[in-house]
Amino acid sequence: MSSENIEIDEFHEGKREEVAKQVEPFFKGGPIWKRPFFGVFIIWSFMTLIGVLIGLFVPVHVLNGSSSSQQDSVKLTIVVFTVIAAPVSAVVYGIAAYSLIKWNKRGSGKSDTPPEDGVALRGHGPATVIWLSISVVLVVILLFWGMMVLSSEQTPQGDAIRMQVVGQQWVWTFQYGSTKITSTQLVLPVDRQVVFEVSSKDVTHGFWPVQLGVQVDANPGFSTTIAASPNKLGKFDVRCSQLCGLEHAYMQTTGRVVTEKQFEHWLAQKGASPKAIKLFTTDAK
Amino acid sequence: MTSTEVYLENTVLGPKAGGLYRHQNFGTGLISGIVFGFIGWLIGQELLQGSNWGSDMTVTVTCVGWVIGFLLGMGAFNAVGRWILGRDEDHEDQLYGAGVGQGWKRYFKFCTDHKVVGIQYLVLVMTLFGAGGAMAMMIRTQLLSPHMNWLSPQSYNALVSVHGMVMIIATIIMVSGPFANFIMPIMIGAKDMAFPRLNALSFWVVVAAVPPILGSFFVGGVDSGWTTYAPLSVQSFPGQDMFAVTICTFVISVTVAGINTLVTVITMRAKGMTMGRLPIFVWGSIIAGGLGLYAMPAFLMAQSALITDRVVGTSMYAPAQGGAGWLYENCFWIMGHPEVYVILLPAAGALVEIASTFARKPVFSYKAMVGAMMAIAGLGIMVWAHHMFTTGWAPTLANPFMLTTELISIPTGVLFLCLVGTIWRGNIWARLPMYFLYLFLWNFIIGGVTGIYLSDVPADQYFHGNMFVTAHFHFTLLGGAMVGAAGAVCYWFPKVSGRMLNERVGKWAFWLIAIGIQVTYYGQFLEGFQGMPRRVVNYNPLFQPANIMSSVGAYTLMTGWLILLYAIVHSWRNGVKAGPNPWHAKSLEWQTETPVPLENFLVDPVVTRDPYGYGEEATDTSQLTPEPVGAGSVSLGNEEGVL
Amino acid sequence: MSTTEISEAGQHEGGGHHESPRERHKKEHMALWLFIGGDAVFFALEIFFWFYLRTLNVNGMWLGNACSKLNPCTDGLGNPITAPISEASGLYTMGVAALIIVSALFIWQAEIQARSGAHRKATTPLLGLAVVFCLAAIGLQIYQFQVLPFTTIDGAYASLFEFFMGSNLAHFLLVLVIAVGLFNRSRIGKLEHSNWYQAHLGRLWAVWVAASATVLALIATFLA
Repeated sequence: MSSENIEIDEFHEGKREEVAKQVEPFFKGGPIWKRPFFGVFIIWSFMTLIGVLIGLFVPVHVLNGSSSSQQDSVKLTIVVFTVIAAPVSAVVYGIAAYSLIKWNKRGSGKSDTPPEDGVALRGHGPATVIWLSISVVLVVILLFWGMMVLSSEQTPQGDAIRMQVVGQQWVWTFQYGSTKITSTQLVLPVDRQVVFEVSSKDVTHGFWPVQLGVQVDANPGFSTTIAASPNKLGKFDVRCSQLCGLEHAYMQTTGRVVTEKQFEHWLAQKGASPKAIKLFTTDAK
Repeated sequence: MTSTEVYLENTVLGPKAGGLYRHQNFGTGLISGIVFGFIGWLIGQELLQGSNWGSDMTVTVTCVGWVIGFLLGMGAFNAVGRWILGRDEDHEDQLYGAGVGQGWKRYFKFCTDHKVVGIQYLVLVMTLFGAGGAMAMMIRTQLLSPHMNWLSPQSYNALVSVHGMVMIIATIIMVSGPFANFIMPIMIGAKDMAFPRLNALSFWVVVAAVPPILGSFFVGGVDSGWTTYAPLSVQSFPGQDMFAVTICTFVISVTVAGINTLVTVITMRAKGMTMGRLPIFVWGSIIAGGLGLYAMPAFLMAQSALITDRVVGTSMYAPAQGGAGWLYENCFWIMGHPEVYVILLPAAGALVEIASTFARKPVFSYKAMVGAMMAIAGLGIMVWAHHMFTTGWAPTLANPFMLTTELISIPTGVLFLCLVGTIWRGNIWARLPMYFLYLFLWNFIIGGVTGIYLSDVPADQYFHGNMFVTAHFHFTLLGGAMVGAAGAVCYWFPKVSGRMLNERVGKWAFWLIAIGIQVTYYGQFLEGFQGMPRRVVNYNPLFQPANIMSSVGAYTLMTGWLILLYAIVHSWRNGVKAGPNPWHAKSLEWQTETPVPLENFLVDPVVTRDPYGYGEEATDTSQLTPEPVGAGSVSLGNEEGVL
Repeated sequence: MSTTEISEAGQHEGGGHHESPRERHKKEHMALWLFIGGDAVFFALEIFFWFYLRTLNVNGMWLGNACSKLNPCTDGLGNPITAPISEASGLYTMGVAALIIVSALFIWQAEIQARSGAHRKATTPLLGLAVVFCLAAIGLQIYQFQVLPFTTIDGAYASLFEFFMGSNLAHFLLVLVIAVGLFNRSRIGKLEHSNWYQAHLGRLWAVWVAASATVLALIATFLA
């Protein structure tokens, strides 16, 4: 940096006190409702309230139903993140809106001459530091939340069922491990972790059992795994989340979460020998 | 006419100035492109077809032939030939190359004047947005009803893919094309870009790149989305080849433009224009230029390997022969995420200029702002795998990439702080650019917050590949960057066109755009919550209400953009004449005349302050006099310079 | 006012927008480094591709070890074979790299001569030799395509090997254009005095190309 640059800083230094006097204090001065802090606070509270209400009610209401603990935690994550994000975003909205309301003279938009110059405020150390620290704290919270949920969801459990999912244009096939049973419908026992080993015969597909709240790509040449823990009886959808050619839109099927007994019954119906079923459902244990 | 007239009329060039280039223009470019394309087709069809590579070879060679032929015909390589032959251009040749004495025709030539290139870019960007927007309307119309039969799956996929890529190309050049070319050199007090011919090349290369991608519809289209994940893209129709040729060509443009921007700013600043006094827009442009220089080679690698896979049967991405689709995905996103910031940073820079000018205040925390932009760029190259959380590639890396991704929200937050800090306590002048700044703040917060859900791996396992992602990145790219670009257009319109934009019409456009964005993408957020996958031609009736909402919003949005386009075109022809500095702004581009003379300043400017000195000295507010010597950001150094 | 500007400007020496060779040197030097930087990213990704696929060895197909009747590989003539393919001979690969290194060294020597104010008679033959060696490198590289024991469809190793060769060719062509230009300019005396910087820039590019070709050759030969 050249000497000319320092000139500005000197200028800035010299004027700092003067500028500080011109800036209307944020917290102090006059009756409370006339202080900028109060106006910003009102808008901030209002926007925060709206954000929190949206966070609490909208996602849970419109999110697809949940059939697994993973999807439950997705719902919780959305709610928590929205509630955390609302007050932070509302600060920006509050300051921006307050400035517009307070310091925009009526008709300025139609004027060809600019208003008088504002205060030469070239920065505010404490505000920047506070802003940065809040961001850092929030990032740490978000990160730990994500890491905890991820590890709790994806830790393999001792009694997990392992099964194979094969994608091909444009069908899903599910193989029930040692029972040699294949199906195009996904039937799972409730309250038992299931580990999907996903692969593809042709191009990349996205294995997405929607209400189980997990997703992993089916890659040709590789096997990927994802664990889900169904916890609610009922139907769910299986869709393809990765564009896989002409009939990508129709590459979907349904699944059912059933009780352990029904599950064994279904396997038997499909032709699995009792021995294989026993092996399949208990070997993990 | 727009610029440079006064200055140009005084010059008479010899009858041979320019040499061969005298006879070259867009028309010869087209003819030569078609001829070379035809030759390419013959070579592909007759010579190479025998080696059973199929139509992919023919299509690729034809497209490459077109690109080379077009650029040859435009005269893009004349200078290379002249250099080899040792017949360097003399000054008259250069003036001819800069468009002297050619009137409107210079807009259809390989013109080296940065202001002409800027206007050419502006028109190209609007054309591309028009094409991409029309495709978006077709997509939204198809999605009005769950079982709509209007488009076949093949044409739907082709539309989705080409819409995506055309829009990405358009957004990458939407600010750094028109404004980093027209405005930025004036802002730093330069006479032109550092490499005027490379500047023209960067524009005409994009023009050469566009026909193949649009032509892909005629050879089966592209059916693998704008991301063209392998191995699907390896098996796709020949349209994929045209798509890949377009990308490889476009990469050249971005690389060349990035180099040009960086060298211009580093070497060509006016006296006294230290790095610490650069307007933030210039910082945004050079950081984006550098980032593009890092990102685009990855795109070239991804797509050229895709071409060889398709055309000569290599197996980089074919698992049966030892390749891996993850390789493509990594390579693509190593480009893909930095590219988002290549789009965003210049737009954010323009918005900072707007904030300062229309709040009549210095930029809040200049250094923090520049630092934040650099941090965004630096972190931006370390986050690519968050696009791959659900691909199954390296699950152990999920946590580190979650960390880097969430870290980006810190510098982005600083960007917000600086924007609202600049507005805070300012006397707001509510002209149209300021409207777009507020819309940016509103949208980008929403885009940012929804991005936090996606950065969280467990939540991403629900939202990935789902309309939620679509809505999120449209909120950031359209609601954020494109709104910023619209603000930049409104802000610099008087300088570029010499006339004032009709803000009454512009405000109608603004409100339609603002409402359109909300309705369209709230609809898509809903679809995402409900579990609708992306890129589907038909869908479960459950999603219909949200889709109708989104389509209605999209039509509103398109109407808004069309009205803005009308305002721009109409004002360009009939608007009120603008003075040199209608916004009473302090950066250098407003201190020179309008129309801007050929080499921007009649007298070399000397800079004594940074351009944000609002409220720091007595300002002369009388309308027509530029800032007197020493009081504004410029001292013209010569009494004659003051009009 | 404006006309006087132009006539004054016109008196400057030729060159882009009436700048001195010194100014142009500064700009073009910086631009070249930036371009090499971008090219280096591409280059790094090529090497990343190589080691990624080599390490993964998907389906055992890096060197075609898993060739079988179901999944036949081919020999260079397109006939299916079921044995693993053999690696390319390092001789050609190294030879190509050596030729381009020699070419770059000649340009370098020409730069040193031009810089010290040598007459064009000193630089022209050197640059002529650079052109010849560059042409030889291109010729040998094309010849290597003909004699490879595999084609592009024989697995990941074969693909990347030929991709490396292709990127070498593209690099060499740029060196050729520059070397021919420098040669011709030297011949007509446009590389003397302050114009030596053009040889300097040409040398930088040629050295980068030679270095990258050498790295690729070493990888392709010893780390297959």
